[in-house]
This record gives sequence, structure tokens and C-alpha cells, in this order.
Amino acid sequence: MRNRVLGVAAVVASLAMLATACGGSEGGDAGASSDAEPTGTISIWARDSQQGFMSELVKLYNANHKVQAKVTIIPASSFVQKLGTAASSGSGPDVSSIDLVYAPYFASAGALEDITEMADALPYKDALSPSHRRLSAYEDVTYALPFTAEASAMYYNKDLFKKAGLDPEKPPTTFAEIRDAAKKIRALGSDYYGFTFAGACGGCNVFEFTPHVWASGGDVLSEDSKTATLDSPQVTDALQLYRDMWTDGSIPSAAKNDAGTQQIPLFTSGKVGMTPLGAFAIPTMEKAKVNFGVTPIPGKDGSEGSFAGGDVISVITGTKNEAGAKDFVKWATEEEAQSFLAKNGSVPVRTDLVEKIYNTQGEHYAVFGRLMGIGKTPYSVVENPIFNDNNGPWIKMINDAVFGGDIAAAQANGQKAAQALIDGG
Amino acid sequence: MASPAIILIGTFFLVPLIMTFWISLHNWPLLGKHRFIGLDNYQRALNDPAFGTALKFTLLYTLVITPILFVLGLGLAMLVRRKVRAAGVFQSIFFMPVCIGFAAGSFLWLYLGQSQIGPLFDLLRRAGIVDRDSNIFAGMWTALLMVIAMVTWKVVGLQMLLLLSGLQSIPDEVVEAARIDGAGRWQSFLHITLPLLRPTLALVLVFSVAGSLLAFDQFFIMTGGGPSNQTITAVYSIYRNSFISFKLGYGAALSVFLMAILAVVSAFQMLLLRNTDHH
Repeated sequence: MRNRVLGVAAVVASLAMLATACGGSEGGDAGASSDAEPTGTISIWARDSQQGFMSELVKLYNANHKVQAKVTIIPASSFVQKLGTAASSGSGPDVSSIDLVYAPYFASAGALEDITEMADALPYKDALSPSHRRLSAYEDVTYALPFTAEASAMYYNKDLFKKAGLDPEKPPTTFAEIRDAAKKIRALGSDYYGFTFAGACGGCNVFEFTPHVWASGGDVLSEDSKTATLDSPQVTDALQLYRDMWTDGSIPSAAKNDAGTQQIPLFTSGKVGMTPLGAFAIPTMEKAKVNFGVTPIPGKDGSEGSFAGGDVISVITGTKNEAGAKDFVKWATEEEAQSFLAKNGSVPVRTDLVEKIYNTQGEHYAVFGRLMGIGKTPYSVVENPIFNDNNGPWIKMINDAVFGGDIAAAQANGQKAAQALIDGG
Repeated sequence: MASPAIILIGTFFLVPLIMTFWISLHNWPLLGKHRFIGLDNYQRALNDPAFGTALKFTLLYTLVITPILFVLGLGLAMLVRRKVRAAGVFQSIFFMPVCIGFAAGSFLWLYLGQSQIGPLFDLLRRAGIVDRDSNIFAGMWTALLMVIAMVTWKVVGLQMLLLLSGLQSIPDEVVEAARIDGAGRWQSFLHITLPLLRPTLALVLVFSVAGSLLAFDQFFIMTGGGPSNQTITAVYSIYRNSFISFKLGYGAALSVFLMAILAVVSAFQMLLLRNTDHH
């Protein structure tokens, strides 16, 4: 029952939780792949949120490769535990798609194969999502390749903007403009709200709130990821913005306990002006017939930020068909696979292809396609307990600060708890 | 003859129990090497403020919900015990929610009570009990009340059924005799029905208290441990240590700890209800 529960709860949240890393994995320059074409069979694990495209993708691969792959779908809620246990007992799959934020953890625990040589030999290695590449490396060794991507941006309701006397083609680009727009939309009537966010969802806010911090020039972890920086002034500014919107009455009370399930329904009801989300929400929004626009999440005085989410794909330690596993992992980053993924809900991980295979699908897609290249991801082996845990320090800080009001105390507590998690490994 | 039962108990209770205990003596991360650390995990558990808070909240929840369930269950059982057709219909109605899973029930009530969109919220707002801009799940006590309402709706039918079977095993003659001796309704309930119901009461209470001490799903879904982590139960805390922080050893130690508490509480209840026999 627990799994089922988690599964349902994860539907929206899991999509929003995808995370990645940025930076670069450097390496040698040996030629990858084919002395002889690999053969045999391989097993691949993926999460239920990828069910829609994964089996089709594998069919595409099987059609013109000697290696034959088979997918097993694992519930997202228990994926980390399952892969962890299987890998440590040697009964894991040959290949697995892994939520980017968990890559450092799995790499640090020895569950992933070193694929540095193959990764460095890819002709397009520098065009791969920088954040994915950063998270795929652990202590200068590459353990994964980018697979699918996701970016975060702000959705806004053009009709409400017009009604409130705002220019629907000029969405807010600073904190002050967001607050002002939210206030004006709120003034449309007691049912209307300017802004909403998932106030009880850690994963949602690492995806949707940290971009404010990054765009303001700050961060939530130090460069070496050994120090939490939840008490930095850029975090204060972003919390202050949300706090101000809350005291203005621009945020609905539903945001207080929203674990990620209400944001989209609230926005598609047509009564909420702005909300930060990922590309995954585009189809839902289009179906709901809301006249919406997508704009980058701004920093305090402008600039733009995005979370780089998605999956990386790895060869799992103990595989019996390493050549076949590597072949699939490599193919997954090639144009054939990426084009297929682009048409099935994923932002491509190839910055060199994004224009051609993704942005062409519409203006909203183009925004996300561009943001994928600048996206960041917190890199930490304890990313899950700090950020994604819905009872962890990150979301508690945001909730306490925005709805409680004592921002300084909330930040101090969050900083202390997060640092304790980092220090405790 | 008993061997199938022993095999079942061995496979699904004893072996996992021993393994849990064994794991609890280790620093056992989900991935990577584990190492033996003796009783360190238990020592840590005793000084873990987060688990302490969770335990206290679990006890509070148990103390509040047990009498509610018991009184309502007994009340319903008294109402539907009569042997008329309508009684059977109401029995089924009261029992129906029991057939719904905890998770489904939790999601249902989460939706019902949700600000802005929930029908129950709307009713309460029209009745002037809650404010248009308020959020039931954003206050610890209101959130707890919602959970209690859901759990009551969900399990009171089962308690009713158990108590009903207890009531029906009381011979009519005994009650009749008391009536003839001039006992009033209340007197015969207090001095005849309740004492004769004792074995059933013990069963119902032990079940109910154990279930409440092990509460997880309802809070995980309905409150997510919020607001501000104030509604995290003991099992929720074990779940977080094991599967969010990936500390299986520590999670196992907390489980053993909780099991000991549960055993003590259950034994105490059994003892209490048995002892009254001698008075």
C-alpha cells in the first residue's frame, strides 16, 4: 500500500523533482565503441513516470541493433531503494535511467560503472547539457551520460494579465515586477490570486524556487558542495518576495500545504496569474485551454535562472554485457534517440540539437529548450534528505519563512539542519 | 498439524524480526559497506529529539483517537444490534468505509477538506466554521482533526462489528433476569453488558491502540508530516530515516524500539482487562 500511495503522490511531484548537475566532466580522448559490434541482451530499468516513452524508445533501438534491450518499469517512489539494493547484491540491471539528482549518490556508493573513456570520445560531448555532465561525474570520473532533460520557467495567464491592465507580452523580469503583477491580478476579485507555488513540496521548490536564487547570483550550496548556503542574502531576497506576496494576499492559502498536486489545477482554473513549473506541464496547460505564456524565472533585478532536471543513464556495476550496455547508453544520447524523446515530452540533452528537434514544436517549447542550456542543479550526495525530502530542511525553511514570517530564523534553522546532513554524510 | 502455521510465522515474522535486529546493530547504508557498531544506534535513538517528538505526537494521537473510536463503535453496535431488517442495512452502511483502503480514504478526505476546491471545506465555510482564505491542513490541530475524522469514518465500522459480535454472545436471559430484578437500562449496561463484553473489549482496544501507534499512511498522505513537521508519527520517522536518509541500520533500531513499546503497551492492556476479573 505504501508504494501505491507514494506512486500516486508522485505523479506530479516526480516530474517536478527531476534534477541534474552542471559543470564539466573532463577526461581522456580514447576512441569509444566499436571494435566489433556488441551483441547479446541487456536489461534496462526506468521509472513509471517514463513508462510512456521508454518501451517505444527501446523498440526503436532494437530495430537496428544486434543487442536486444528489455525494459523493466519500477515505481518512482521506490526506485532508489530498489536500484540500490539490487546493485549492492549484484542482481541489478545492465543499464538504468536515474534521476539526475541521485547520480552523485549512486556514483559515490559504487553502483555505477566508470564510462569516462566513452563519454570523452563523443564528438558532441561539449554540447551535452552542462548540468547533467556535472552531476554525472564523481571525483573526476564520469559515471553516466545525460539522457532526458527538464527545465523550469514561470507560466503566466495572459488573459488575466490583460484584464489587470498588464502587458501580456511583457511578463515580469524582476522580483518587484512579479510582486506588482501579482497584486494587480489579486485585485481582480476575491477568487483571483496573483501567484501560487507548492509550499509543502521540497522537490518542487528546488526545481522552481532555486532559479530565483541562481538568477540573483547566489546559490544554495558552495562550489565544492561541502557547505550549505541557505542563509545567503540571495535566498533571503527570494524568500522575502514570496513572503511579501503572501502578506499582500496574492497567494492562495492552498499553497501552504500543496505537496505539488494543486499548483497545476489552480493555474488551469484560470484564476491564478503566475506559477513556476516545468516543460512537463505544457500539454496539460494546452488541454485546459488557458491562454498562457512561459517566461524565464527571474532574479531580484533581472537575469534568468532555471533548474536543469531530468535523467542520466548509466551502466550498472556488475553488468554481464558491458559492451551492449555501453552501446545503448551511447545511443541514448544520439540524434535518433533524442529526436524521439523530444517528441515525447523530454527536453533534449543536446544543446546542438535543441533548436532543430525541440524548439520547432512551439514558442513555449523554445523557452524551455533555451533554459535547459543555462540550468543548474545542486550537486550533493545528500541532495535527497536536504532538498527533495518533504520534511527536510529546505522546504521547512521556505514554508516557515513565507507563511510564518520570521525569515532570518527560518534561514538559520534551515542552514543548520542542512549543514548537519552534509557533515553527517 | 501446526507446522504450516509455524512455517508461516517463521518466514513472515521471526526471520524478518531477527534480521531487523541484526541490521539494527550495524551502520547499514542502503548502498555500500555496512559495519558492526553494537548498540550505538539504540543509544542514538534515545537522544534523537526528532524521534522523541514523533513518539510524543504518536502517543497524543493514540490518546485522542482511541476513546473516540471506542465510544462511537460501541454506540453504533448498540444501535444496530436489534434483529430487524433496518439494523442490517445500517450495519452495512457503517461498515462500508472499512472496505476502502487507507490510502484511498486519505486521498479522498484530503480532497474533501482542501481549501478552495474541497466540498467539505465549502460546507464548513458556508456553515461559518472556517474562513474562505483559511486552510485546514495548515494548522497542526485542524490537520489532526481532519485525520481523526477520516480514520474514524474508516475504521469505526470494524470496531462496531467486533463489539456487535461480543454483544450478541451475551445471552438474552442474563439481561432479562437483570431487568426482572429491577435493573434499569443504564444499570444493566454498566453491570451486565460491559463486564460480559470484556474479552471483546480487550481485543478491540489492543487492535485499536496498536493500529494508532503504528499510524503512517494517513499522515503521510493527508498532512505530509506538516505543518512544519508537527505531525510526523513514529513510523513516519522510521520511514524517513530508512528511505530518505538511507540509514537502514538506524531505521531498524527505531523499529525494534517501537516494537518494544508496542509490546509493553499491549501487555499492559491485556493485564488490565484480565485483572478486573478478580474484583
